[in-house]
Amino acid sequence: MITAEFLCYRNLAIDALTINPGITTIIGANGSGKTTFLKLCAGIAVPDSGTLMIDDALPRETETGWVNEFPDRNILFVNVFDEISSPLRFRRIPCDEIDSNVRACSETMGITHLLTRAVRELSGGEKVLVSLAAALVHHPKVLVLDEYDSHLDAHSLAKIEQGIRKSGADYVIRCTQQMDTAIHSDYLLFFDSGRITHAGTPDFVFPFLKGTAYYPFLSEG
Amino acid sequence: MVKISLNQVHAVRDQWSLSASGTFNEGVHLVSGDVGSGKSTLALMMAGLLPLSGGEIGKEKIITSMLSLQFPELHVTGLSVAEECASWGVAPDEILDTIGLTGKKEASPLSLSRGELKRLHLACVLAKDYDLLLLDEPFSSLDCEEKVKLCARIGQKSKGITVIFTHEQNILPRVKRIWEIVDGTLVDCGMPPDAFTHWRHVPPIIKKLTALGSTPNNISRDDFLEAACRIQG
Repeated sequence: MITAEFLCYRNLAIDALTINPGITTIIGANGSGKTTFLKLCAGIAVPDSGTLMIDDALPRETETGWVNEFPDRNILFVNVFDEISSPLRFRRIPCDEIDSNVRACSETMGITHLLTRAVRELSGGEKVLVSLAAALVHHPKVLVLDEYDSHLDAHSLAKIEQGIRKSGADYVIRCTQQMDTAIHSDYLLFFDSGRITHAGTPDFVFPFLKGTAYYPFLSEG
Repeated sequence: MVKISLNQVHAVRDQWSLSASGTFNEGVHLVSGDVGSGKSTLALMMAGLLPLSGGEIGKEKIITSMLSLQFPELHVTGLSVAEECASWGVAPDEILDTIGLTGKKEASPLSLSRGELKRLHLACVLAKDYDLLLLDEPFSSLDCEEKVKLCARIGQKSKGITVIFTHEQNILPRVKRIWEIVDGTLVDCGMPPDAFTHWRHVPPIIKKLTALGSTPNNISRDDFLEAACRIQG
């Protein structure tokens, strides 16, 4: 269980929140605190006050994978294979094991054809796929995805949705502006000005958003 | 009339290639395609910023053109938001209130959130009329409400050629013509709603409405709503 108590950081304030294992999706306007919350979950930022615990451990004591919407901000290496294998290399895992893990992960993401390419030459969406593979390759307990789908087409999304579900991560916490993605979640949080205003299953939350741009068309009629 | 014609335009890179032929007339055009299919490459070539591997691009009566890149930070030249606006020849006071950046004049553009930076960039781009406006993934980084506003803004454009390169499928402006990149080739799907029958990247909502016997006239949310209302009566 992920639990937050009296959590405060920048404009974000959450008095109490419990997230069970599964896929949790956060929706809301730009600037509503989605990314801020994700950074806390990934241990990239620490709260000003209050606590956020993942199965009774701090995020920084937990294996997490992180994907930023602007992958250029996180990519470290020149070519794709080196980038995806980096989390394993940092753990000093034997080379042949690294090789097979990277290949298996790339296959799931449908990017084996990119492995020898330079990251710089990739399209925006391809960079996101590479970042996702790098986040998944070391089988994190928590996978944190910040608007990863903003640069992806429907075909790639369907493919990686499988990859995410098969990743073995206990918790997937993501934010998105694609309500068709959000609808396929176990738990949905709607953020407004740094507060959680709606929380529950998509079936429970979306009716509150009827008439707004966040209401998914596909669930109608 | 303004027009840009692609005559057997080619881009080749290792095993990857793109070929494109067709004419873009005045109005709003949508180019859809998967990740890595060559949308950005085509946008760069149409902007004249990438040499062609083959073929030619003809432009008629296009004096001013602008390419808006997918990642807005690549456009930033000013050290402050005010300087950034000035670099586009736009008075900050005229646009900052309209994009929710009141009081951020002195902030560094790179300190803005990505949604804020994209809004700033698009407001600067759309403040002027260009004969040819190429928008590469203009909807990325924007929240749903901002996407709706951007569609309205694009819908107000009365002159010039606007080409939107995107994989966005839910919130789109009304367009004159639909194109897509399939297997390395630019395909002209034609005008909506006739284009829907052979548009491979047709949004699921259009498929669903069509299956229910009510094809929307175009691809904006208003068109979807109108079609949905026709079903419900």
